[in-house]
Amino acid sequence: MAIDNGRNDGGNGHKGDQAKGSALFEVIQGIDFERRELVGKRQGSGDFDLVKDNGGKDRCYACTLCERTCPVDCIDIGYTASDPMLGSAIAAPEDAAPPVDMKLFDPIIAGIRSGSGLVEALHATQEAYGFLPRPALEGIADQMNLPLSRIYGVASFYGQFRLKPVGKHVIEVCLGTACHVRGAPLVVEAFSQELEIPVGGTTPDGLFTLQTVNCLGACALAPVVRLGTDETVGRLGPNEARRLVRRLRKQEVRA
Amino acid sequence: MSAASSRVGQALQAAVSAGAGTYLADDTKREIRICAGTACHASGRVALRKAIDAALEERGLAGDVAVVETGCHGFCEEGPIVVVRPEGVFYPRLKPVDIPEVIETSVMGDGVVERLLYVDPATGRRVAHEREIPFYALQKRIVLGLNGKIDPYSLDDYLAHGGYSALAKVLSQGDPQNIIAEVENSGLRGRGGAGFPTGKKWRLCRQNLGEKHYVICNADEGDPGAFMDRSVLEGNPHSVIEGMIIAAYAIGGGNGPVEGYIYVRREYPFAVDRVRHALDRARERNLLGKDILGSGFDFDIRVNQGAGAFVCGESTALTASIEGQRGMPRGKHVRTVAHGLWGEPTNINNVETYANVPFIVKSGADVFASTGTATSKGTKIFSLTGKVVNGGLIEVPMGATLREVIFEIGGGMLPGREFKAVQLGGPSGGCLPAALLDEPIDFESLLAAGSMMGSGGMVVVDDSTCMVDFAKFFLKFTAEESCGKCVPCRVGTSRMLEILERISEGRASLQDLDLLESLADDVVEGSLCALGGSAPNPVLSLLRYFRDEIVSHVVEHNCPAKVCRPLIRYGVDAEACTGCAACIAVCPVHAVSGERKAVHSIDEDLCIKCDACRRACRFNAVSVETGVLAPA
Ligand SMILES: Cc1cc2nc3c(=O)[nH]c(=O)nc-3n(C[C@H](O)[C@H](O)[C@H](O)COP(=O)(O)O)c2cc1C
Ligand code: FES
Ligand code: FES
Repeated sequence: MAIDNGRNDGGNGHKGDQAKGSALFEVIQGIDFERRELVGKRQGSGDFDLVKDNGGKDRCYACTLCERTCPVDCIDIGYTASDPMLGSAIAAPEDAAPPVDMKLFDPIIAGIRSGSGLVEALHATQEAYGFLPRPALEGIADQMNLPLSRIYGVASFYGQFRLKPVGKHVIEVCLGTACHVRGAPLVVEAFSQELEIPVGGTTPDGLFTLQTVNCLGACALAPVVRLGTDETVGRLGPNEARRLVRRLRKQEVRA
Repeated sequence: MSAASSRVGQALQAAVSAGAGTYLADDTKREIRICAGTACHASGRVALRKAIDAALEERGLAGDVAVVETGCHGFCEEGPIVVVRPEGVFYPRLKPVDIPEVIETSVMGDGVVERLLYVDPATGRRVAHEREIPFYALQKRIVLGLNGKIDPYSLDDYLAHGGYSALAKVLSQGDPQNIIAEVENSGLRGRGGAGFPTGKKWRLCRQNLGEKHYVICNADEGDPGAFMDRSVLEGNPHSVIEGMIIAAYAIGGGNGPVEGYIYVRREYPFAVDRVRHALDRARERNLLGKDILGSGFDFDIRVNQGAGAFVCGESTALTASIEGQRGMPRGKHVRTVAHGLWGEPTNINNVETYANVPFIVKSGADVFASTGTATSKGTKIFSLTGKVVNGGLIEVPMGATLREVIFEIGGGMLPGREFKAVQLGGPSGGCLPAALLDEPIDFESLLAAGSMMGSGGMVVVDDSTCMVDFAKFFLKFTAEESCGKCVPCRVGTSRMLEILERISEGRASLQDLDLLESLADDVVEGSLCALGGSAPNPVLSLLRYFRDEIVSHVVEHNCPAKVCRPLIRYGVDAEACTGCAACIAVCPVHAVSGERKAVHSIDEDLCIKCDACRRACRFNAVSVETGVLAPA
């Protein structure tokens, strides 16, 4: 079966010779990826149906993966910003403490208007609020004219975005290679025990959030821990970690 | 041509003189340089700066002695670093209390404060200058040459050191094809990992026509435990910007509009700030923006920040991320040079690749190519970390051996420890054992040895690192960072990780090793992008060079490095224990007990093997045993 994709694209198409004979080749040869249309298959022959749970609820929660990966761009997920579907994944407005101050949002809108991308807008939002509050995400969705599900899809993909409020002190333990070989796992464990929260958790008093990060760029001082946005501490072993928590706790009591 | 050339020359002259008076490159001037890199910041440069300012003020020297905050000097292990010019006296690990003495002796006088100097661990001698320290003496610094010498916030400083003259040369020649040929002749290969010839990439990108071309700098530096790109951007951001403008001209000059992006990881706030600042300064002096240096060529650069996804270093995921999508790679049957950002032809290079370009243009392809091996030209920056004495950033000629780097520049292993392996290429690379220490560092040799050049992470481990645990670490990383789009990578890495976990818990059989190996091959073969395609490398190198260690885990339940918790047991050496109760105080679960001045004991049922007691003991009385216990 020869592929007639209607043009000779100077070597940018897939390499037919190499893949010939494999099962993969059988599958992909019907698709001209570059023109993103099915060749040799009748268009519109599929019938879409969303699978329901036993209770009759849609199982789809609009992660938008299918929309992103569809080779022929035939799926369009169109949630509106007000749709309650996303449920508990994004912190509801009342979870957010303190209440979301929408004035902080104005510069973000200005940024979007001047052409900053979605990821940049999310960074700006997180910088303003410490996390990504739902009303702000809805605002971004409105501004960029994108479904909220799409914003959620992006926000949940990247490790640095937080959908829930964080504690006053954010402790980020580096788990990069250099820190790992110098004992960072023991440091994480020490923090976790001392604070009595798992990685990613926040203490009930709202004082501490424990997170891990992949390399802070100060590898020669491993193991490295970052406190908040600007304090970085190097050569911090598990015993020092426990002491650090106690020191911070004491400060809080005094304050 | 000559009219254009003199116009550009004059424009550069104007840009240089616009800043004259604010800074003069005067190498005889008395000056204090503090490293303001990320690592030195963490080791206390802010307090140091305050102490210096106060001490100068007190002595009425505030206006006379310049204090310059530079980028990373490379020797981060010894930070915070201060260098007093013009003699270049090098003070490592300074504390604010030492400052008055340093100022009185080295700034107001010509002496050195002997007790604060760097001690060469090999000879025990104190040395006063960077050039005498083996860590620096054996390097060849082309890209890092100005790092630590100039103020990254000062464009004038860069200009005074010959900055942007390569750009002026290129623009006045006005022949983009010629630059591409020059870069091709230099033999420069990408420093981001794969080592693709840079000139060829530019040529391909130029040939592909679109509405626009994009030139992107990949500063995502995903390899955890490496900081080459961070240091270059922090210490000398203009060199990268100049390289990008030259690339943009080579690709877009007379060929349609070009736009630039720098995609930098969010975890590097200093680098982001300095790059943004540098871009603004370059725009002010017409080195960037419309009609650059009067040549008629337009080009501007935007900064985009990553958000903590390793896979976004991959070129197609990177472009998706800039477009505001989830950073998921797509198949490489469509090349980025043809169909990249927003569907337009796109050139992506690494930070270090761009930083090499001004040197090539200025000195010529031949000079660049005179360093290195037959297939790998120039120098390579590595970030040397782990269990070596001198950790930090080093730049060596291609072809240097691993032994030279680790034992001569790196100063060898920490006292009492034995070299076990060196890991190159991060999560995509492999571990090489002692037997391969004499391998030269070049793209081909490292690949043949089962590792890779990678972007420059070099982590040295000693006999206290368990190789199974190390491989587990990398696999856990890639399994977590897998974007999830393709099955071999998403599921394959998790299954491999499970097998490694079984091995480290003493629950594996020898058949598991075969399964691991065949799974590794499948993941390599079947994955969509190079993340999955290289994720099994750490495991494959483990199987190739450290099989004995795995077998000993499986058969004897023995973890020679005493790391895998289910296989170890803590106890107290009755001979050595003095009964000082230090271990009792630190044990988080109260598993250690005993009277003062009597031998302590550890309750195995309570012990969580957190190692706190062993670290607290000053008499080496806490012992760890392995290989004797049956798995739980
Ligand atoms: C999973 C993955 C992560 C990568 N991370 C980086 C990175 O952090 N920095 C980088 O420069 N290149 C990275 N690369 C390589 C890039 O895809 C690309 O080859 C490189 O930026 C090209 O630049 P060069 O030709 O100058 O090396 C990565 C590749 C993969 C597959
Ligand atoms: S590995 Fe922890 S700072 Fe780089
Ligand atoms: S950060 Fe100061 S030497 Fe690297």
